[in-house]
Amino acid sequence: MIYLDNAATTVPDAGAVNAALQYLQPQGFYNPSALYRAGFAAHKAVEEARKTLLSLLAPRGGYELVFTGSGSEADNQAIFSCAHRGNFVTTAGEHAAVYNTAKELEKRGVEVRFAPLLPDGRVDAAALLSLVDKETSCVSVIHVNNETGAVNDIAALSAAVKKINPSAAFHSDGVQAFGKIFFTLGQDIDLYTVSAHKIGGVRGVAGLFRKKGARLSPYIFGGGQENGLRSGTENTFAIKQFELAAQKKFSSLKEDLLRVRSFNAAVRQGLDKNIFRILSSEEASPYILSVSADGLRGEVLLHMLDDAGVMVGTGSACSSKNRYSRVMLACGLNERAADGVLRISFAATTTEEEVSRAIPIINSCAAALAERTK
Amino acid sequence: MEKVIIVRYCEIHLKGKNRGYFEKVFMNNLEKALTGIRHEMRKPSGRYVVENFDEERADEIVGRLSKVFGTHTLSIGYKVPADMQSIYETVRSIAPAEGTFKVETNRGDKKFPLTSMQINAEIGGRLLSDIPSLRVDVHDPQTVLNIDVRENGTALVFGGFVKGAGGMPVGTAGKGMLLLSGGIDSPVAGHMIAKRGMVLEGLHFHSYPYTNMQAREKVEELARILSEYTGGLTLNVVSVTHIQEEIHRHCPEEMMITLLRRFMMRIAERLCKATGAQCIVTGESLGQVASQTIEGMTSSNAVVSLPVLRPLVGFDKTEIVERSRAIGTFETSIRPFEDCCTVFLPKHPLIRPKLSEVEAAESKLDVEALVEEAMASLEKVRF
Repeated sequence: MIYLDNAATTVPDAGAVNAALQYLQPQGFYNPSALYRAGFAAHKAVEEARKTLLSLLAPRGGYELVFTGSGSEADNQAIFSCAHRGNFVTTAGEHAAVYNTAKELEKRGVEVRFAPLLPDGRVDAAALLSLVDKETSCVSVIHVNNETGAVNDIAALSAAVKKINPSAAFHSDGVQAFGKIFFTLGQDIDLYTVSAHKIGGVRGVAGLFRKKGARLSPYIFGGGQENGLRSGTENTFAIKQFELAAQKKFSSLKEDLLRVRSFNAAVRQGLDKNIFRILSSEEASPYILSVSADGLRGEVLLHMLDDAGVMVGTGSACSSKNRYSRVMLACGLNERAADGVLRISFAATTTEEEVSRAIPIINSCAAALAERTK
Repeated sequence: MEKVIIVRYCEIHLKGKNRGYFEKVFMNNLEKALTGIRHEMRKPSGRYVVENFDEERADEIVGRLSKVFGTHTLSIGYKVPADMQSIYETVRSIAPAEGTFKVETNRGDKKFPLTSMQINAEIGGRLLSDIPSLRVDVHDPQTVLNIDVRENGTALVFGGFVKGAGGMPVGTAGKGMLLLSGGIDSPVAGHMIAKRGMVLEGLHFHSYPYTNMQAREKVEELARILSEYTGGLTLNVVSVTHIQEEIHRHCPEEMMITLLRRFMMRIAERLCKATGAQCIVTGESLGQVASQTIEGMTSSNAVVSLPVLRPLVGFDKTEIVERSRAIGTFETSIRPFEDCCTVFLPKHPLIRPKLSEVEAAESKLDVEALVEEAMASLEKVRF
């Protein structure tokens, strides 16, 4: 099977799993809050991981890192902490973890303002900034969109937001950016979400980077772990594995990016232009490539590809609910095109051979489906 | 004081000479429902008593038995030596702390020194003096405390009834093939027919890759829920993908559903013959959707000779939903997966198909080969 759905999750890095396994075994499983030596060693291991991750994303300092159980949890905590008064400004291109949190805020009486997207999937910056005012308590802009790969210039956006309203908190969901594109945290970003399992980490651990002094409240109360911001016994295995996977990913970030860019270009080039329209822009993250087979059903094509040995994602579903991707419609796609969306996403582990084998399979399955439903 | 469960049946008592047969099937079904739970079942006259089980599992036993068709009511009670002191102590232990009550005695052992009325008076009187906040109301009591003096020197004491599933024991009314789509209606139709004693097999049509695995999982879950009532259920799963593609290719768009229904009926009838089922059961309700008109039903009936039972034909959607909730299939039925892919769904399906036109359209297809091909995709899942 050829796996091209790496934006959904990536295979856990085996070296990192092996190296972190000791934290599941008798020599290292201890509770980091325990006061004997073994517990303290586990605590040190977690702190070491925190330091490593901070050095990767915030090398100039000024940030803290809170480990959470998932990227969604980090997004929720960031937004609920900051956006409880005035208005909350976000984009029409957010991941569900931000979008549905915004919807919940609306129900609770907070005014939510959605900035529209440009056809290439980035937020319309001018429109976004026009929504920010003195009453804005929080702005959240996704860094790399999980469906289109569109990259928002969050450094510039956060600086512009702060100019209009210095007290507005700026959050970004960086789950699809972390370890995949060149980026370090600058001073205007208050909160930034990352997740382990998109870069060879395991599921169950993610992180919220927080500028020192930025507003952040706990939502899980208990033993006071993570400086009281996220209680719950630390998952030392997952945290250590995350650290090691991230270290590895960052060390090869440039080479990976070049390689993945060539995969992306090959697929763009190789897909049958009579069937597929490329949706992701050339400037998007090369890790994510969305295409649309106009007039075909994305999920049907997905099943045929699955049978033919290629796993991809889709922007549509054989479901009466959520049939079309909200983000694709926000990019201006009509329903017919949104119905036929496939998301092809790469990882550092993807090989050239896999990509070159997948292209003709994708073409022939789409052609077969077009023929069957003609 | 041993905990027992008393099961009473419904219509079987109306039966004449073949009553023994109905009772035997019913007892077998009760036994089957308790598979995996240690127990003993006895049948004193006109009811069943489950004894010698792990008392912590009493509620589970009642839950399972209450779903067996033929069950009228159930009670959790106690088996005690048939002497007035033991009987009184047990009645006292299950009596309410306040409100109105009456004692009802059934004396199977005619040698017992007191008559039913005397037992009622004696036990009721002692309760009144022990629990001053209780009052007797023989016409409309809040609680009825029952005593059943049996012939073997024991008595059963119980209060309160749990309503059973009603109907006739499954296995006493032949066998049917239920078309199970994944929607709200078909599980309800199956439940109604099984309730009249019919053994069912399920038949689900999928059109992978146009439908997904979640849709299949949903139907399997519905079959599993139904199987709790039907004493097990075999689900037959058949692909109609190629049939839909061929209809799409060769026939007028608006006839998709009409023609597909005819194929489904043909496949169902073949399966009936292979499995010994004597009829096809569907969840159709008159006028609910375009294909469920009398013309649509005529068109699909025309390709089969077995009877087609449509127990919901006169039901409103709200009535069906109500029943679906009551039998516990509603939450599963409304999971939002498509069962018959909308890729081929016409914008304006034919509401009143004329049989001659349908047959003319169908003549462009190799019906026999398509049915054969579909039958070859048959998978069976047992619940």
